[in-house]
Amino acid sequence: MADAPLYEAVGISKSYGHVTALFDVNFSVNPGEIVGLVGDNGAGKSTLIKILSGVHPPDRGKIRLDGVERTWKSPHDAIEAGIETLYQDSGLAPDLTIGSNVFLGREKLKPGILGRLGFLDQKAMERQAAEELKRVGIAVSGSRRTVSDLSGGQRQAVAIGRAIAWARKVIMLDEPTNHLGARQSIEVLSVMRSAKEQGLGVIFISHTLPHVLEVTDRVVVLRLGRVVRDAATSEFDAESLLGTITGLIEAS
Amino acid sequence: MTMTPASTEGQGRAAPAADPNPPATEPRDWARSILGNQQFLLLVALGALILYFYSKRSVFLSSGEMANILDDFCSLILLAVGETFVIVSGGIDLSVGSTASFAGVIGAFSMRGMVSHNDSEALVLVVGTIVCAAVGAGVGLVNAALINWLRLVPFVATLATLGAGAGMAIVLSHGIPIGDDTRAIIFSQAKVGPFSWPVFIVIGILVISWLYLHLSRYGRYTFALGSNEFAARAAGINVRRHLVSVYVLSGLLSGLGGMFLYLRLGSGAPTSGAGDELRAIAAVVIGGASLLGGSGRLSGTILGGLILTTVTSGLIISNVNPNWDQVAVAVLIALAAALQALRPGRRRA
Repeated sequence: MADAPLYEAVGISKSYGHVTALFDVNFSVNPGEIVGLVGDNGAGKSTLIKILSGVHPPDRGKIRLDGVERTWKSPHDAIEAGIETLYQDSGLAPDLTIGSNVFLGREKLKPGILGRLGFLDQKAMERQAAEELKRVGIAVSGSRRTVSDLSGGQRQAVAIGRAIAWARKVIMLDEPTNHLGARQSIEVLSVMRSAKEQGLGVIFISHTLPHVLEVTDRVVVLRLGRVVRDAATSEFDAESLLGTITGLIEAS
Repeated sequence: MTMTPASTEGQGRAAPAADPNPPATEPRDWARSILGNQQFLLLVALGALILYFYSKRSVFLSSGEMANILDDFCSLILLAVGETFVIVSGGIDLSVGSTASFAGVIGAFSMRGMVSHNDSEALVLVVGTIVCAAVGAGVGLVNAALINWLRLVPFVATLATLGAGAGMAIVLSHGIPIGDDTRAIIFSQAKVGPFSWPVFIVIGILVISWLYLHLSRYGRYTFALGSNEFAARAAGINVRRHLVSVYVLSGLLSGLGGMFLYLRLGSGAPTSGAGDELRAIAAVVIGGASLLGGSGRLSGTILGGLILTTVTSGLIISNVNPNWDQVAVAVLIALAAALQALRPGRRRA
């Protein structure tokens, strides 16, 4: 399956009690592609992301990475496979330092017997965290500050930097430009473009339609748990995209 | 100071982004360095308390009274160390005191037969220690099961085991202390240098606990869990397994606390640990840990425990009605919590 998409969800359904959050959803992303995932509140965007990141299992449907069917038992499995997620509600621990957050769940241990006993190589982590964030285009000063000392925009920058620094195949960003000013939003978009240039598959969820139209290659529109449109971004303008999301324009 | 995504095009470093949180101003930094250094405030408070009680009764600094304070501190601090891990992880363990009583009673049953057979005292105490630790760890496992699988909040789960442990300790012992092991009292008061040897065991446990809470991956996960459980889970940490280990650790240390009470009394008294949950939580909160989880220092807990035991001993030698002690503990908790609320830079609940 040489032409299989990088990451693919086929026939995904998910219900919470009596509420059907997703119904028979097909979704995919290719290497070096930015796919926009849009839809009204409650359309099922966050549910789909949680399934793709291993937080929730789907009720029905398959997930394929590089054409191989995969089952995520936990977020840990998806992370191991190279899939990083930036969650809408910050996935950072505010009481930990920037460096500790970048390495959360992937801590470096001291060499030798101390490492075997579970002791952390904090200095190496702080140093590498600063380097990694710089490499993906996020300037940090003082990776030993705790995240609670940062502003909303700074926290978001750290969260994005962490996700891109670790992602090997796919990165999913749920509302990454929320709470950000205009200039910071533009910078987030440029960080996404550089992730795309590195050959990552990028999934971008946003309510800010101008951003979606500006940065994505393809747009998938969800409405009431179903995919109503999956087309190249060039086929949309602001009006038609909004119309498709709200259902004023009935897509095929 | 500012940290924003650096533009790849290298645009406008001249115009700083409008930052919703302006950099801290001078007075705030000053307040933070004083109020933020809770350890320093605690040391000052401890010193002031010791001087005050010494000025009232000079016997307060006698070696006998110091030994008393240390004994009291040893059985309390074991509970408070476990409580620190639990509170940092974002939970609470109300069962530590009754677990100590319960484990002490069961341990005393297991030792009573050996004492009457005149087995060597060291062997008796080793067996008793293992039994107490195992019983404590078992209670911790029950707490973890109630929280993880019955989805009870930690407050309710550990309130239930508090009641069950205290009740079972009384039922099994018929309300009277088990054993009359005067050999254990004498044995445990053997001195090594200035202190009796159990003090060194406690110091060893404190050092290891400090290393693991503050320098190890285990401690890092504990802080992460208390700081943002979702972030911990999303980062691939096995949150459930970690919670189990934290409550088992707390139970195990409480069981050891029960063994220390046995060494002091020479028996397993069913009410020996009653009320100690309040003192353990007080030590942690006075030490600066947030009950919201995610922050705390073991050194703070140790200072908090020393302050509590100093106040208790001080009130006793000042001939104050001992029931005032509970009131004093309550006042100290309230003071520590108020100090925490005033501290700048805390995130909202």
